Parts: sequence; C-alpha cells; structure tokens
Amino acid sequence: MATLTVPASRTNIPRLLKSRTAAKLLLLALVTAVLLPLLHGGSWPHDLTVSLDKPLTGASNWVIDNRDSHPLFLYFFGYISNAVVLSVRAVYLTLLAAGWTGVTAFGALLAWRVAGPRLAAGTAIAFLACGALGMWVPTMQTLALMVVAVLASVVVGALLGLAAGLSDRLDRALRPVLDTMQVLPAFAYLLPVVLVFGIGVPAAVLATVVYAAPPMARLTALGLRGADPEVLEAVESLGATRRQRLLTARIPLARGELLLGLNQTIMMALSMAVIASVIGAGGLGDRVYQALASVDVGQALAAGIPIVLLAIVLDRVTGAAGDGTSRPKTIGRAYALAVTVAVALAARLLGRLDWPSGWTLNIAEPVNRAVDWMTNHLYSGVPVIGGTADWAGHFTTWILDPVRGGLQWLPWWSVLLIVAALAWTIGTWRTALTAVLAMAAIGVLGVWDPALDTLSQVLAAVAVTLVLGFATGIAAARSDRVERALRPVLDVFQTMPQFVYLIPVVALFGVGRAPAVAAAVVYALPAVVRITAQGLRQVDPAALESARSLGATGRQQLWQVQLPLAKRSLLLAVNQGVVLVLAVVIIGGLVGGGALGYNVAFGLAQGDLATGLVAGGAIVCLGLMLDRVTQPTERRATKGA
Amino acid sequence: MTLTVPTRKPPTNDTPVFSVSGLWKVFGPKPRRIPDDPELAALEPADLRARTGCTAAVRDVSFDVRKGEVFVVMGLSGSGKSTLVRCLTRLIEPTAGTISIDGEDVRAMDKTRLRDLRRHRAAMVFQHFGLLPHRTVLDNVAYGLEIQGVGKAERRERAAEVVAKVGLEGMEHRRPAQLSGGQRQRVGLARALAVDPEVLLFDEPFSALDPLIRRDMQDEVARLHREEGRTMVFITHDLAEALKLGDRIALMRDGKVVQLGSPEEIVGSPADDYVREFVRDVPREQVMTVRTAMKPGACGGPEHPGALAPDAVVVDAIRTVAETGAAACVVEDGTCVGTVDHELLLDVVAGVDVGVPGPRTSPEAV
Repeated sequence: MATLTVPASRTNIPRLLKSRTAAKLLLLALVTAVLLPLLHGGSWPHDLTVSLDKPLTGASNWVIDNRDSHPLFLYFFGYISNAVVLSVRAVYLTLLAAGWTGVTAFGALLAWRVAGPRLAAGTAIAFLACGALGMWVPTMQTLALMVVAVLASVVVGALLGLAAGLSDRLDRALRPVLDTMQVLPAFAYLLPVVLVFGIGVPAAVLATVVYAAPPMARLTALGLRGADPEVLEAVESLGATRRQRLLTARIPLARGELLLGLNQTIMMALSMAVIASVIGAGGLGDRVYQALASVDVGQALAAGIPIVLLAIVLDRVTGAAGDGTSRPKTIGRAYALAVTVAVALAARLLGRLDWPSGWTLNIAEPVNRAVDWMTNHLYSGVPVIGGTADWAGHFTTWILDPVRGGLQWLPWWSVLLIVAALAWTIGTWRTALTAVLAMAAIGVLGVWDPALDTLSQVLAAVAVTLVLGFATGIAAARSDRVERALRPVLDVFQTMPQFVYLIPVVALFGVGRAPAVAAAVVYALPAVVRITAQGLRQVDPAALESARSLGATGRQQLWQVQLPLAKRSLLLAVNQGVVLVLAVVIIGGLVGGGALGYNVAFGLAQGDLATGLVAGGAIVCLGLMLDRVTQPTERRATKGA
Repeated sequence: MTLTVPTRKPPTNDTPVFSVSGLWKVFGPKPRRIPDDPELAALEPADLRARTGCTAAVRDVSFDVRKGEVFVVMGLSGSGKSTLVRCLTRLIEPTAGTISIDGEDVRAMDKTRLRDLRRHRAAMVFQHFGLLPHRTVLDNVAYGLEIQGVGKAERRERAAEVVAKVGLEGMEHRRPAQLSGGQRQRVGLARALAVDPEVLLFDEPFSALDPLIRRDMQDEVARLHREEGRTMVFITHDLAEALKLGDRIALMRDGKVVQLGSPEEIVGSPADDYVREFVRDVPREQVMTVRTAMKPGACGGPEHPGALAPDAVVVDAIRTVAETGAAACVVEDGTCVGTVDHELLLDVVAGVDVGVPGPRTSPEAV
C-alpha cells in the first residue's frame, strides 16, 4: 500500500534497489573504461565483420545446381516438396469441384455444427462476399494452402507438444526454442525455406508450418502439464496404466488448450499464408502484394477484405469450438454432409460451379477514385492541420531521421553498452549476455547500419504505440463504457493478419518509412491496450478499496496504487508491443520502409539469397535482442494475437 | 521399532488388513540417509531441514489397520497424514519401512501387482474429489471399472447401482461442474465403491465442504460402514470428525504418531501435552463411556436400576441418572459390572481424571 508506507521505508527500499542497479551499471562502466583505449567510435568496424556473401551465394548456387540431382533433394526434400504440391493441388481441386455453392454450404454448416446458427450465417456471408468481390479463385487458393499447412502444423505441433508434455527433458529443451520462435518476425522464416525449396508453393507451405506449429506445440505441452494433479492422482489411484492415463485423463483434460492451440495455429497460418505470397504462395496475399507494388489501393482492398473476413470467421468459429461448455443446438454430421453434397451436385448439374461473373462487384475503381481524391485533397495543403503526406513527411524528418541519425552517430560499442545496461537492469546477466551477443552478431554480419535504421523505426513506433496504448488502456480500465466500446474493435483488429495493415496506410500516407511505422503502430496497439487494461483491472480490489477509504483521489489511486501494482502487465505490454512492432516494421520493407525488410524483399525478388539471408539473420538477432531487453525475468504466458 | 505410545490391542488372530511398521517418507536430496542414520533421524524438523535440506513427512510410523474397522489418522496440516495414506498404495513411494496388505509386502510389489492392488483392493476418495470434468456422473463412477477393462454395459449397470447407493439417482447424466460440492464428493465416494475394494482410503474427504453437508456426508460414511462393514482408513484434520467416525485414531504431529487409541483413550488419557491441548475442548461426556466412569463392583441388588451398557456414552448415563435420581448400574451380559452416580458422571464432564487411580487432579495441573 503506497499510501500507508512510512517515510523511513520509502527511502530505504528504493536505495537498496538503486544500489543493486547501480552496482550493475558501475560494473559495466568499469569494463568499458578498461576496454575504451581499444575501441573506436563510429559505425561497426569493418575488420570485425565476417562477409557471408560468398559462402551463402555458394551454398545457394550449389542448391540450385543440385536441386535436381543430389540424393538429398531427390529422396528427401523432393518427396516433401511433391507431397506438399500434390496435397495442395488435391484440396484446391476439391474446393473447385464443390463449386462456390458447395464450399459456402459446407463452411456454413460446419460453423453451425461447432458454433451455432449466428456464426453459420456469418460464415456464409463471408464466403459470398469473397465471391462478390471477384476474389473467389484466389480465396480458394489461399484456403487450399491453409488447409494443408494447418493440418501439417497441427500434426507437427501436437506431436512436439505431446513429447514436451510427457518428458521433462524435452520440455526444457524445446521451450526456449519455441519461445524464441514466437518473438521472431514472420519475414525471417521465408528465406531459409526458399534456399532449400526455391520459390513456390512448397516453400510457402513449409514456411507457414514452421511459423504456425509452435503455438500448437506450446499449448499442447501446457495443457498436458496443466492438468489438475489431484485428478491425475485419482486416476492413478484407480490403477490406470500410463496409456490409460494419457488417453482418458490428460488429453481430455487438455481439450481447452488444444482447441486454443488450433485457433492460434489457424490464425498464424493465415497470417503467414498471406505474407508467403512473397515467396510464391499465390492466392489473396499475392493479389495484395501485386497491388501494393503498383500502389493500386483499390485492388489491394478488394483482396484484403476477403482476408479480413476469413480471419474473423476462422477465429470466431474455432474460438466458439474451444468454449465448448454450453453448446448451442447443433445439427447432425450426416445431415450437414448430405446437404453439402446435394448443393454441390445441384450447382454442378446447373453448370454454376464458378462464381457467376455478373455477380461481382468491382470496388477497385471507386476505391481508387476515392484514393485519388484523397491524394488530391487530403495529402497536403489542407489549411491549419496539414495533409496526411505532410504528417508523414514531418514524422520522417522530425522524428525518424533524428533517431536514426542519433543511433548511427553513436559509437558501436556504446550501443552494445546501452543494450547490456537495459537488459541487465530488468533481467539477469544471462538475458543481458544474449542481448549483447545478438546485437554484436548484427555487426559481425555487416548490416549494422540498416539494422540501426530498422531499430530507429521500431523505437519510434514503440514510443507512439505505448503512449497511445497506455492512455487507451487506462481509459478502458477506468470506464466500463469505454471498454465495452473498444472490445469489438480490439477483437477484430487482433485477428487480422499483419499484411493487410499495409493497405490503409499506403492509401493514407503513400509509401516510405512513416507508413511502415504507422502500420506497425496500428498492428501493435490492440495488444498493448488489452494487456494494459487487463493488468489495471486485475489489481487487487482490496488495495484499491483501502486507498479509496483513505480518501485517495482518482489520480492518486491510479499513480500510487494501480500503476505500481500493474507493473508486470505494463512490462509485458512493452515487450509485446516491441515484438509486434518489429514484425510489421520488417514487412514495411515492402512499402518503402527500407532497411532490413527491404533487403529481404530485394533478396527474394532478385534471387540474391545471400543478401536476403544475411538480412534475415540480422532480423532474428534484432528480434532476440529486443525481446531480451524488454523482458521481465519471468516468461510471459501466450502471445496476444 | 515399537510405538512409544500406549496402544491397546484386543487379542485377535485376524491378520490386519494393513500392517505398517517403521515407515519413513523423506523429501529432499538423498532421502535414504535420514532413516538409516539414528543421529539424523532424531533431529527436529527445522534442524533436519537446515542440515540436510530434507523434510521428513512421515517419521517412523507403525500401526495396524484391522479388518472392518474405521482407522482414523488425524493431525493438523503438514503433519504428514496425507503423505502417509498415499504411501499405503505407493502413490508416494516410501523411503523406508514395511507396508503389507493381508500379509503381502506392498513395497516389494512389481508394477502389475501394484496396479492390481490399486484396481481391486484399495480405492481412495480425495479432498478435492479428483473427478474427470469431461465425463458424466455415471462415467466417472464407472471409470475404475473401465480402467480394469470391464465392458461398457456391465460397468454402467454396476455404476448405476452404486450411484443409487450414495443417493445420486437421477443425476447420472450430469457433469461434475453441474453438481454441488457434497454431490461431487458422493460421486468420488461412488467411484471408489464401484470397484468393490477391500479397503477404502479417505484423504480429508469432507474438509472442502460446508459444515452441514459435511455432517450429512459423515453420516453417509457411517451408514455405509454399518451396512457393509468395509475397512476404512480415514484422514482428517477435524477432531470432531475423527471422534465421530473412528474406531481407533492415530494422532500425528510432525510426521510422528503421538498417540494411537480409541477416541475414549485419546480424550480420556492424552499421551502428552500436545494431545491434551488438542482434545481440551472436546465435550467429554459424548466420547467417554460409562465403563471408564463407573465404580467397578456389583451393585449387590437384584434389580439393576437404570441398567446401562458399558459402551454407552456418559451423556446417556446422565440422562438415566437424572431421571431416576439414583445411581445406575452398568450391566454386561446380564451381570452388573459397576455403578455410576452423579458424582462420577460430573467428574467426567468436569474433566477430572477418572481413569487414573489415586489423588484426583485436573489435567491442566499436571
């Protein structure tokens, strides 16, 4: 209780804390002072870099030369690749054969079965909207890829999770890997698979699996480990064998986590399936990507809306299946299947398998006209408030440039020092070491300057996100009305794949670094708001009540009770904010964000895998460093999205 | 190791159901050295922890559970009683000592034998019920049979019988979340009964329940015991519950049994100050029998006014004596073995030592 603290302890405890932090900082300063004569200022010294260009290009060339002849490819990767292509093709052809009526009916009935009539209607409308926007075929392509990727992710994830749930040793080995994979931007996963499989559907599916399997594995392990120990003991006391215990108790008890894992895997698979358009996934993501490349906002929106609709429907339906306890009235499985087959057959007999061309709604043109109008009227020169392009320009010149300039002006060793100091003060020496090594690795890879460019965008975006997010979060925590109004908005925003956030910002701000930052802010904001509001609301009501009974004003309650007690949540919000911002800032490389993200995109577009892989490695290091620097000593539970 | 506490075993040739001797359970690094080393074994819990980092949850415990009795292990939280009951079927592996069931060494059993013991011979009821939330009441009760491989129709039929026996008819198809605490524990009880075990083990089964429901459940257990005569080992921290249900009570403190005896012995002649403090507020007239309170010797008369059984509790004798206004006879097998008057009965109520001959002193003065 802050208001009850006696003056003596108020001075004592902070001094103690401060002294420990001070000791750490002093030690760091000492080390620096000793090493200072050996250090030079400026950017990362050239002789400390290792050029990986040659070996990487060599490796990539070797892969390309041997892809059709080496036994490793012929008998291992070749099989995987073929299996992926065949299964995606099979699913795609099945979807096409069912026709738009069959798919819509099947989707709606499935939703009805697991989630009730309201979501069934929503699903049907979503599918019809995809068709009406003229995106039926790309939607089916994305869906086919997703079906295969999700199935593979669930199998891989569940097996890994099962192993980690049953064996402590495997759990200890897997957990840090899965935790780290969770904080890495999706873009970093693209290049290694491209190196092995080349650009195309197999690479896209495998990248998606690698990205989407970890949540399934984590949650499976969590569910198996989280089972009520007394239930397990009761089961054992009745003489159950290990197998019986697993099948009749542990797995059924983990049902909630398993379904949550399925939900998260599907959402992450959708997110990645869209991003993987960069490496040949095709489908909706590809339409967005192409449209953005030519700054055709109308087309991008026409492809983006189906993505958002798919995301919302998939999230709500799988989420409802996970709730599970009070099931709405459902329909029989046989009945659902029969209706689907009947509808599909009817459509086939009527020759209406493809979406009727007359029913499409061309929104690209009116949207583009609206964007043109905006460009002409709102971009700049609006009296008093200026235009959106002006804002973006000002943001770039007044904030992004100075931050980047400042970072690049700092001597390289002082950047490492700052990283070490930050990580050490809030974490352990271990986290500090990881962070410093990750940062140093970026220098060694020879991408110090672009990495600092990315870092400057991340810092600016995080600052904006935190200011807006904390303010909104506090408002939502203090007023039920604000929270009720915000909840549906946050729900929708948290389900949308990263990629689609680029569309509106390009419409508003054009291309460049500021739009990338804006997209990152919008993407990360919901998670930060939510964690902040939850943290503040979870503050012990007894502490708040006693503060009120002592006559504390609302402001005093907030500053002296709620915020200090919600410190953990606020730190978690910062960590999540940083991780999410980084993911989108990297993707921002596609809309002129430059820096590391651009290097990856460039490497992919030009077939220059060496550049791309080095940038990808740097992204991994940057993600690792940012996570460690913002991570409170204990691990956080699950990712926001 | 023999018990240092007074135990009174009636001469019987029955082999005990459970026979435990010199049982140890030590948690911590290298637990075996504690029971093996007399010096370490003699340490106080705090010293032991400081010196070895180990905690001895059960220290050198010995007792027999006789066929058909309700054996209560009672103690405060942390006294090791829950660990002790789990050692009986090796849900927790004991560190040292021997346990035998019907003369068979439990610690020497292999996996299959042990599983067999858990499946058929000893079933347990848990404090927080340990029900499977995704199964109906009926399937929860049938779970033990399912584990044994009993066919679906048969196990459901048998489960339905047990469900009726514990008074849950009509709730067979509910899930545990839809039941009250008392009903859930009835399911837990039914699950244990369904496998028709030789011994029922109860681990503080009613401490999570409301007082009224707790009393109902205690009555239920007492009724079941009356009807079936099944051997029960009952763990509790509630003295009233122990006195109500127990034929014999083992009182535990810091992993040791400090006294083992009938409720009357525990209340009437506490082994040490700890036990005495424990039973201080017990209404003695409801526990002590007239056999303890009476003045031995025949009344001499032919009529035996009042005629009380020796096992009758003092509170009944008070009623008789108050009604007749004179001393009452204690009659066993048609002969008078002693008499009680109001002075003797008041001594019991007042807590004046009655079992001990010699000058009468109040227990607090000892």
